[in-house]
Amino acid sequence: MSSVEHPLRKYLRPSVEATTFCPGCGDGTVLTSILQAIDELGMTMDDFVFVSGIGCAAWIISPNFNADVLHTTHGRPIAFATGIKLNLPEKKVMVVSGDGDLTAIGGNHLIHAARRNIEMVVICANNGIYGMTGGQVAPTTPREARTITTPYGSLENTFDISRMVQASGASFVARWTTYQPRQLTKSIKKAIQKKGFAFIEVISQCPVQFGAKTGAGSAVEMLEMYRKSSISVKKAVEMSPQEIEDKIVTGEFIDTAKPELCEEIARLKERIRGEG
Amino acid sequence: MPKVYILREACKGVVDCDICRFVCPKDVLGKSDMLNRKGYFPPEVVDEDACTQCGNCMVYCPDMAIVVEMRKAKKAAR
Repeated sequence: MSSVEHPLRKYLRPSVEATTFCPGCGDGTVLTSILQAIDELGMTMDDFVFVSGIGCAAWIISPNFNADVLHTTHGRPIAFATGIKLNLPEKKVMVVSGDGDLTAIGGNHLIHAARRNIEMVVICANNGIYGMTGGQVAPTTPREARTITTPYGSLENTFDISRMVQASGASFVARWTTYQPRQLTKSIKKAIQKKGFAFIEVISQCPVQFGAKTGAGSAVEMLEMYRKSSISVKKAVEMSPQEIEDKIVTGEFIDTAKPELCEEIARLKERIRGEG
Repeated sequence: MPKVYILREACKGVVDCDICRFVCPKDVLGKSDMLNRKGYFPPEVVDEDACTQCGNCMVYCPDMAIVVEMRKAKKAAR
């Protein structure tokens, strides 16, 4: 046994020997990127409250991070996180969950948290399939992809989560793939410092369910596909919708300053007390 | 001092994962012949001189199983 320790190991619970992810899963890269961002900002785990829902990606934080972690019911992490943020406004609240949890069952919570513009970071690991339950079709599954519940190909259109959250009124929206962990770390750093609702979608490979069922292949083949098909937001603006169809548009979609809910509530309290 | 450390017990194997060898621009890593305790074949360093300490394998590894001594840290140590 070597005595060398990974520099980010100090943020994990001492009891954690290995993550629960399948070999080649992109969620591990998301985990490292989150810890790297916290490390580079010089923050500690005590500054955060982490919330996750149900699904593979919810396991990124739940048994691993040595911090206050809430592993909540399916689809409801943002509802729990809203309560935490309103009662502990000095804490940074981070929600990490998957596409099935945040957009399929918990879609309304996501939309309305973005609309309220409450300060929190939401990281959605989007693998495009229900991985934990065996590879059923999800709202984020690409059109015509074969899964175990769509053996002749999915007939439904794909959910563009980032555009939806941007339209709902979030202050910060970014999308990266697991092939761009350095850019992802930079965006997580920006999102943590953002006063307002910050959403980051990470297109993440699932070689065991998505790769095997849809024919996308192994982890390496999927990363190679991300490398080839991702284009930046600036480039995408100049391209026609037909050209963008098979591409993954990555980058920061929006980064604005808007009135934030916790601050508005504090201001309201002050105003009412002053008048009364 | 070696530039790349493989934490063998944390690794989930080059057979199923192989991300480290895919992202390495200089083919520094090869497959180890020894299984770890979980039954995976971790990578091993085969060409250390070629390593430029870019840190790709460390950043991409989903299991925090590779530690690269980064160039900046080395300078500071001197």
